[in-house]
Amino acid sequence: MNVVFAVKQYISKMIEDSGPGMKVLLMDKETTGIVSMVYTQSEILQKEVYLFERIDSQNREIMKHLKAICFLRPTKENVDYLIQELRRPKYSIYFIYFSNVISKSDVKSLAEADEQEVVAEVQEFYGDYIAVNPHLFSLNILGCCQGRNWDPVQLSRATQGLTALLLSLKKCPMIRYQLSSETAKRLAECVKQVITKEYELFEFRRTEVPPLLLILDRCDDAITPLLNQWTYQAMVHELLGINNNRIDLSRVPGISKDLREVVLSAENDEFYANNMYLNFAEIGSNIKNLMEDFQKKKPKEQQKLESIADMKAFVENYPQFKKMSGTVSKHVTVVGELSRLVSERNLLEVSEVEQELACQNDHSSALQNVKRLLQNPKVTEFDAARLVMLYALHYERHSSNSLPGLMMDLRNKGVSEKYRKLVSTVVEYGGKRVRGSDLFSPKDAVAITKQFLKGLKGVENVYTQHQPFLYETLDHLIKGKLKENLYPYLGPSTLRDSRCSYDLYYLPQDIIVFIIGGATYEEALTVYNLNRTTPGVRIVLGGTTVHNTKSFLEEVLASGLHSRSKESSQVTSRLASRR
Amino acid sequence: MASLDDPGEVREGFLCPLCLKDLQSFYQLQSHYEEEHSGEDRDVKGQIKSLVQKARKAKNRLLKREGDDRAESGTQGYESFSYGGVDPYMWEPQELGAVRSHLSDFKKHRAARIDHYVVEVNKLIIRLEKLTAFDRTNTESAKIRAIEKSVVPWVNDQDVPFCPDCGNKFSIRNRRHHCRLCGSIMCKKCMELISLPLANKLTSASKDSLSTHTSPSQSPNSVHGSRRASISSVSSVSSVLDEKDDDRIRCCTHCKDTLLKREQQIDEKEHTPDIVKLYEKLRLCMEKVDQKAPEYIRMAASLNAGETTYNLEHANDLRVEVQKVYELIDALSKKILTLDLKQDPPPHPNTLRLQRMIRYSATLFVQEKLLGLMSLPTKEQFEELKKKRKQEVERKKILERRAALESQRRLEERHSDLVSHATNGEVVSLRGGPAPLRKAEGWLPLSGGQGQIEDSDPLLQQIHNITSFIRQAKAAGRMDEVRTLQENLRQLQDEYDQQQTEKAIELSRRQAEEEDLQREQLQMLREREREREREQFQAASLHTRTRSLDFREIRPFQLEPGREPRDHLAHALDLGCSPAQSSAAPKTPSPSSALEPIRVWSGPPALDQEFFPQSTTSQHNEVPSLNPFDEEDLSSPAAEGTASRPAAEPSLGPPACVLKEYNPFEEEEEEEAVAGNPFTSPDSPAPSPFDEEDGHPHQRPSGPPVPGNPFEEAPCTNPFEVDSESGQEGEEPIEEELLLQQIDNIKAYIFDAKQCGRLDEVEVLTENLRELKHTLAKQKGGAD
Repeated sequence: MNVVFAVKQYISKMIEDSGPGMKVLLMDKETTGIVSMVYTQSEILQKEVYLFERIDSQNREIMKHLKAICFLRPTKENVDYLIQELRRPKYSIYFIYFSNVISKSDVKSLAEADEQEVVAEVQEFYGDYIAVNPHLFSLNILGCCQGRNWDPVQLSRATQGLTALLLSLKKCPMIRYQLSSETAKRLAECVKQVITKEYELFEFRRTEVPPLLLILDRCDDAITPLLNQWTYQAMVHELLGINNNRIDLSRVPGISKDLREVVLSAENDEFYANNMYLNFAEIGSNIKNLMEDFQKKKPKEQQKLESIADMKAFVENYPQFKKMSGTVSKHVTVVGELSRLVSERNLLEVSEVEQELACQNDHSSALQNVKRLLQNPKVTEFDAARLVMLYALHYERHSSNSLPGLMMDLRNKGVSEKYRKLVSTVVEYGGKRVRGSDLFSPKDAVAITKQFLKGLKGVENVYTQHQPFLYETLDHLIKGKLKENLYPYLGPSTLRDSRCSYDLYYLPQDIIVFIIGGATYEEALTVYNLNRTTPGVRIVLGGTTVHNTKSFLEEVLASGLHSRSKESSQVTSRLASRR
Repeated sequence: MASLDDPGEVREGFLCPLCLKDLQSFYQLQSHYEEEHSGEDRDVKGQIKSLVQKARKAKNRLLKREGDDRAESGTQGYESFSYGGVDPYMWEPQELGAVRSHLSDFKKHRAARIDHYVVEVNKLIIRLEKLTAFDRTNTESAKIRAIEKSVVPWVNDQDVPFCPDCGNKFSIRNRRHHCRLCGSIMCKKCMELISLPLANKLTSASKDSLSTHTSPSQSPNSVHGSRRASISSVSSVSSVLDEKDDDRIRCCTHCKDTLLKREQQIDEKEHTPDIVKLYEKLRLCMEKVDQKAPEYIRMAASLNAGETTYNLEHANDLRVEVQKVYELIDALSKKILTLDLKQDPPPHPNTLRLQRMIRYSATLFVQEKLLGLMSLPTKEQFEELKKKRKQEVERKKILERRAALESQRRLEERHSDLVSHATNGEVVSLRGGPAPLRKAEGWLPLSGGQGQIEDSDPLLQQIHNITSFIRQAKAAGRMDEVRTLQENLRQLQDEYDQQQTEKAIELSRRQAEEEDLQREQLQMLREREREREREQFQAASLHTRTRSLDFREIRPFQLEPGREPRDHLAHALDLGCSPAQSSAAPKTPSPSSALEPIRVWSGPPALDQEFFPQSTTSQHNEVPSLNPFDEEDLSSPAAEGTASRPAAEPSLGPPACVLKEYNPFEEEEEEEAVAGNPFTSPDSPAPSPFDEEDGHPHQRPSGPPVPGNPFEEAPCTNPFEVDSESGQEGEEPIEEELLLQQIDNIKAYIFDAKQCGRLDEVEVLTENLRELKHTLAKQKGGAD
């Protein structure tokens, strides 16, 4: 169930199977991302892969002394490129791996192009997704929907990604989907179709408890991606943006050249692996410790390696030292930038109000706080807009909703038209009308008690009160309490029947959750904790992408829902008039 | 279990696990074991080994939970051990995902296509060979034409009025030409020529692969020879005779293309660029390093430790060899880097990149491996090291002996003292019966005997084992095994040395403090006992409600088996330490006097002085609490009471803890036996286990909220405050205030809940309140 490992295994297998000798890895744009998430350059160099080329690059030289490993998505363009490549081969021998199912006709046209018999292997290796963490994958699709329907191109990409994931983990799951979402149903059906069509591929050893694929829609919880985050990974993504583990720091004032772009990968950065789920305060102290360790190891200037023993000790520690110095400067820079942004944008205060908006039901105090922050000049237009969005989502139908007033405040604050329009678009995207379940008020006695007790302890971190809606869904799922009328099973009655015999006891153990419209790192953390706290249960989370607020708003914008903003502004005006 | 072991036959003391001979002291047993059994069958040792390994594993698992590493401290909250879930990073290994091969399909399609192509090429080459098989210069042109015509039927002139390639009409001026290879017609402009050298190259290269096609009558050698001649002799003629190009063969563009492609393929096959040659050498060197370096590192480590297993000179030779290989790698990779750099049309950027990458990876390789190579001692240094090592071994032995004597003396001294302490009426009333029963519980004499040796000092034991293994392996000539063992041995000895020094320091310090400590602890323990009773009551009442308490109760259960042998071991050691005592102890019917002191003495004999204050106090400690074990045995010996057990554990906690404290000598063993105890903490002298817990919240699983312990959740109220460790004793008063506050809060909440009629909440809150109050009481007790 470890997705990083699954992809890594595929890649190592490819490289191993090509035997000794100098190698070039021939990839396309997407597979480059897929490989770079699981392997570092030095790691892959050790396996004699010295060059990385794009299949579409024209400027490739003939190097007959290299072996080529091609890892490509089975798209039409890639097949065409490959045909050209085989007609005039640039390398001595080709090992071809497609990241997904390839059609027989494509295989045939490739075979016919291979007149010089340079192809030694043609296989499907299903590493067709970006493995972010062991339990988190993404497809890097931004803007998967048009209106409330799939963009057909993205639907097929999502289907491919999901089926590849299932194949790489060797799972043939039962499928459940969120009834309120048409896109979820559509994707579920497509995945099912592939499973039925490629039934030979999906014949794995039967497990006692069948795995489960749960398909959800971002619309159901538009709150989570709008919140500021305080755990390391999520925070870095929210404030700086993580793109395939890379962070662009070029906008950081006074940044040194080699830190313009840094890589944060839990696979080979121990500090990051240990701290990615900790909150900002803990990171601060851990960074301090890291610095101290570093200082200890660092030879002091005045000390000057005097004796031979000193030199020896230094040289022996050197690789470690070098590695550490890289880590130290990287994390110090990142954390420093985070805390600069936090104070510059007044994020502590903003976040507190955000959390209040997301987790509590006190309208008047929330409104007051939002209004107060809108007056604060330190609060950026982005943060101001998101506060209003949260307010609009939560108190959409509240009797004393004063969204128009807040919109006026936004305008007075000088927030751009784009953001102001987005407020209504977000409500359109994830408002009450489209939500399948109630996001805000607690649902049952247990939840109420829990919430109440939470309040009692009074020691909880106010900045991380919010628990994504996903937690509840998964919790119910694990306990077998997820309602079938909201999250029905997909599939012919035969599958249902086989399940019926132990329907009552069916508690899934291996769960794959996929969120159409993108997951968030906060949800990844939730899943991580669920994995650690629930014995026998393994959950993998995926999304069309991994969002921060900015990318989420882009997604909302791309969905094209703003065309209806007129209608929703009418709603707001109606609400206003009601006041 | 009890049925397996007749209580009457339990033997205690320093029993040899193999022959059950009683040896008076640990040291003697060691030497006995080494002398008598070192050569004996390996099975038993294997057993012992596996026992030790099991214990180690258990220890590691338990230690991991405590997680002392700072880097990990943050993640402890999620530590899987305390929750039962698994970190995604730890998910069990998985096999390679699904794959599907299209190779056979691919090959099928390719074969269909390629066959056609290959046949075409081969046909051309066969014809070419025929055309060049005779001596062209010395043959009449008519005859040549006849031969040429026989090779391939020429297309009829009348059939082709236009040149098929350029479309020009054939005429007297624009004459028809025939392709000698396929017989087709083209005009002069479209005609291509194949020179004889090219033809030669193509046919000779193909002759192996085409041997089946070529007719046997054509001997390649003769072809070769004749062509040579033709080239030299005809060159001058051909320049004069434009029309009669004897040394060349006319053909169409299509045939020429096909043949040129073929030529290219041949060229590539034969040509190995310099970079490949260098690279192959480089890889060979790297392989060599991978073979030799580990061997050298083993040698160097052993020599640096002053061992005499390896020859210093031999190691030096190896070092030089390895270093040479490194130099070669460096040189080769540098050469690759600068390859073709000065060529006039500079090489393609990709070539340069490839060269850079190879150099980079070679540098990485050297950096990683070479820097790991430690240096060797010089001859003089080595002699010194050897001497030092010898001295150390000697010193160790002396220390040990002294310790053994010391312990015996102390033991006797204290015995009377002990008895006088244990005069409490209840204890007396409890005496009789339980002791033998207790002993009989859950262990076999053999395994106990083994355990005893292991436990008394697993390090020494291991060292001796390994030494004997090495001897055997050497005799058997299995050098690689010797090496691993040697490595093992070295580590063990290092560790042992360290422990020795620690022990010595500790010894002197403790002796000075002993008296004070004794008094103080007596006092403290009495008070704690009272608290513990209260706590037990609480724990029982909360048993099913709170998860956190469940943990507390379950863990002792799990540890039970681990603890049992300790007690028994104690018996055994008791006998060994003092022969006088050994005869007396079993006779003493008192469970407490038989059990408690022994448990304490189970440490190394030299330290018994330190144990004594503890032993006495812990006895006091047991007395009022009505040691639940004894009680259990008396009332219903068969019942493994689930209710009383957990409650009993805390009372067993302190002795274990104490042992751990005062026994640096046996550090490892103690950890194996005790580390899992949630109540033990290595850094404070025997406080109540519960105080300990409050003091170190970070050591506990911080997952499910503990209603009674609100402080533990405090550290994340503000992400920007670096939370200080809340473990300091000095903070207690503050915590008390907090507690009081919390209690008031909850009271208010209860009131509120009652008003609203939410009864289930009231219940939960009341529970909460009770916990808090209890914690407060405990705090106060602890502070006094």
